[in-house]
Amino acid sequence: MATIAPGVQTGPYHAVLDHIHPEPTSFIRKYIFSIDAKVIGIQYMITGAIFFMIAGMLAEIIRTQLLSPDGAIVSPATYNSIYSMHGSAMVWFVVIPLLTGAFGNFVMPLQIGARDVAFPWLNLVAFWMFPIAGVILFSSFLIGAPDAGWTEYPPISLQGPPGTNLWCIAVFLIGVSSTMTGINFLVTIYKMRAPGMTFTRMPLFVWAQFATAPLSFIATTALGAALAALFIERVFNVPFYDPHRGGSPVLWQHMFWFYSHPAVYIMIIPGFGMISEILPTFTRKPIFGYKMIAFSSVAIALLSFSVWAHHMFTSGMVPWLQLPFMIITMVIAIPTGIKIFSWMATLWGGAINWKTPALYATGFLITFTYGGLTGFFLAAVPADYHEHGTYFVVAHFHYVLYGGSIMSLFAGLYYWWPKITGRMYNETLGQIQFWLTFIGFNGTFTPLHWLGLLGMPRRVPNYDPSWTFIFWNRFASISSYVMTLGALLLVYILIDSLRNGKKAGPNPWGARTLEWMISSPPPYYNYKKIPAVLAAPYDFGNPLPYIGLEAAPGAVEATPTSASHPVPTY
Amino acid sequence: MAQRVVRPKTNLGPGFWPVTAFIVVLSAVCVYVVETLPLPIGLIQAGAPADAIDSLFRFLGAVAAVIFNVVVIYTVYFAIAFRRPKGAPASMIGVQIHDAPVLEFWWTAIPTILVIILAIFSTKIWADLQNSQGDVLTIEAIGYQFGFQFRYPKLANPVTNELHLPANTPTTIHITSRDVIHGFWIPELRMKADMVPGLINTIRVTPTVPGTYHIICTEFCGIAHGRMQATAVIETQQDFAKWFAKQGGQQAAAGGGSAAGAAVALDQGKADAGQTLFGQKCSACHSTGPFAQKLVGPGLGKIFNDPDHPKLVNGAAATPQDVAAIVKSGFTGDIGTMPSAQMNQLSNSDIANLVAYLVSLSKK
Repeated sequence: MATIAPGVQTGPYHAVLDHIHPEPTSFIRKYIFSIDAKVIGIQYMITGAIFFMIAGMLAEIIRTQLLSPDGAIVSPATYNSIYSMHGSAMVWFVVIPLLTGAFGNFVMPLQIGARDVAFPWLNLVAFWMFPIAGVILFSSFLIGAPDAGWTEYPPISLQGPPGTNLWCIAVFLIGVSSTMTGINFLVTIYKMRAPGMTFTRMPLFVWAQFATAPLSFIATTALGAALAALFIERVFNVPFYDPHRGGSPVLWQHMFWFYSHPAVYIMIIPGFGMISEILPTFTRKPIFGYKMIAFSSVAIALLSFSVWAHHMFTSGMVPWLQLPFMIITMVIAIPTGIKIFSWMATLWGGAINWKTPALYATGFLITFTYGGLTGFFLAAVPADYHEHGTYFVVAHFHYVLYGGSIMSLFAGLYYWWPKITGRMYNETLGQIQFWLTFIGFNGTFTPLHWLGLLGMPRRVPNYDPSWTFIFWNRFASISSYVMTLGALLLVYILIDSLRNGKKAGPNPWGARTLEWMISSPPPYYNYKKIPAVLAAPYDFGNPLPYIGLEAAPGAVEATPTSASHPVPTY
Repeated sequence: MAQRVVRPKTNLGPGFWPVTAFIVVLSAVCVYVVETLPLPIGLIQAGAPADAIDSLFRFLGAVAAVIFNVVVIYTVYFAIAFRRPKGAPASMIGVQIHDAPVLEFWWTAIPTILVIILAIFSTKIWADLQNSQGDVLTIEAIGYQFGFQFRYPKLANPVTNELHLPANTPTTIHITSRDVIHGFWIPELRMKADMVPGLINTIRVTPTVPGTYHIICTEFCGIAHGRMQATAVIETQQDFAKWFAKQGGQQAAAGGGSAAGAAVALDQGKADAGQTLFGQKCSACHSTGPFAQKLVGPGLGKIFNDPDHPKLVNGAAATPQDVAAIVKSGFTGDIGTMPSAQMNQLSNSDIANLVAYLVSLSKK
């Protein structure tokens, strides 16, 4: 019989929750055009990984070029296209789809005890727009890839090669896809939580997706409009941005950053969520300050809409307007700081089991703090006059995007890999992989702060041939090879795990959230009976189990108990 | 399921106070070093507002160093002190604490206070920059693909790629662009504004330390963006006056019939004038070495005398007239666009001078 805590009411169980759709049998419906969120999540993961490798190779071309002050290997035109495609691919085709599409789809429905997302067909459409958009993006190399950076500021982007049109189409498509996913996740989390899973019992990864989803569909509309106008101007010659014919180049910057600043948080809040899952599991402690972490995600999401112009302090706007943007940007540091202190306090007093996900989560804590602090330098308007458009900016956003988003993605990948595949990875190699990445990453991007302050602008294929510049650029390039070695090792670790990994069992980490209560990989229907949630997700010392089943992991067949709280309304 | 609960040390850990003392000492050292460094970002200060902005760097650097020390050292310490002991059972759990309102209050309050202080400090410096004195000298800076032009009051013609600034003179620079967005950055003055076509941005500087510095383009502007630089010469007021007079004289003398003839009369070209022009207009993309010494376009040192490349990029023979035609009309090829003479603001006599210079190179 189920274990029920004192004070938890039992109520009538809703038989409608037991209905399970039959699993499709054809290969195509099962693996290609599947509507199962788990399969779609894995599809996102594989597609995103392919784009990650391509964009990573582009990054290595960039760093190799900068081995020599005159540009070692490619012509300036090729170089411009390469860094533009590197940025575009990493932002829109790697980080955002992996954090929301891949892990959101695989983990989030499992964590809320749902069988699927609210709109599975919408999910299918959203996924398939992603590889199609990716192919469109990379095919621009055939006709001249965009060369004005991932920001594509007009008027220079109006002069750009024909591939810029494909870039507009590809980014527009991925924007529509991300809008669909945002709406889907918001509805799923709001309406489809298992009985008893109140907002304060939701795992923090779910909270993070909940805070991110509205960003995806509110902010992306501005980007869509800006892209449509750029495309129309390039193809049909209607002057939206060309100043010689009455357009405004700064208009693009406002529209672009009105999307792209919230997008920064689309790229990091789900990462925060992953860290908040991993730290409790490996410290064997409840997360410290659950509510503060959950609400600070929402606060960051709200604030992120009113800071976009901090990317434009030197672009030309009414001077007094710089101040509110500076101050609100600085205010974001407060909820972010709360999160960081809470994670530190979670480490305190733990019985920390140092496995690779925990290492990555701790590494994230350090690199992300560094990136956050340099963000302060950029937020302060007078300091930004010096730093804007230099390698300092490049260093800062790689610290938050690689040291933040990608490190959390690696953490999440190691953490949920046993759940996704049912197999363990090689722990020793995993830890070596962490140290290669961590050391290589810091070696690559720390010197770039310095170079930027000393006078190296962004987006240049050549630089000042003084020894300081040459030395630190070479240092960064060589460190980046170490980082790449780490990424290659990861590929080996994952293949090795699929071939030789030992069986993981339902709950190799002893975690408490719902997804670990069922077999690995999870069955098609996720839960034979929808579980009822009885307690907070990270109470390792609580004798009361998290769900109302016989407490043994994997016991999904047992009779579920309905708890006091809401019954999903689907 | 019965769970065997093994409690770890619930105190702060064995080394907490020594580690805290270490953080305090290290932070004090960091703050001292950051506050006393003569050049906090390692770059000389050539005048206002470099000093004001560096004081902001100092302040931010000190605060950031303290926060970074606290976060990193405690994190590493907790990571080591609270690792699961060897041989501990898998069921061992950590301290079951959910929150500590007093602690959370303080770590919300302290960052809030820090943010307020930083915002006030930044705003003060920002306000100083807004109210700073300019206007004794007013210069216009215009960016184009790929160079800078500077217009001085009472000087008939613009000066290309060389900005002369008199020391100790509050100077206002109005900044714009002729074609795409460029950046105007003098790192030694810590000052920058984007050069946006159709928009005028204004910066105020007061240079103090004579010397020759770089003006760097910081917004991507096309194929030669990486080579779009100009020189900022800060000089004493006497030197500036001399330069200014010389500039006015030269410009007035050359001011005559530049845009007159439609055909390019090449026999009038002067190689030495062409050499100066080449440095201003062409050297961002072309070297004076052999063909293979490419910057953006090919090296032009042997353009009229190169057995490996007897033809020009448009297929014409390498004669002075054909070279002049390309300079005049510009050219779009695989690697990008060379601007036309009109875009480059080259008169016909300028073209003649350039061609004469290239001819003289090929004879060497």
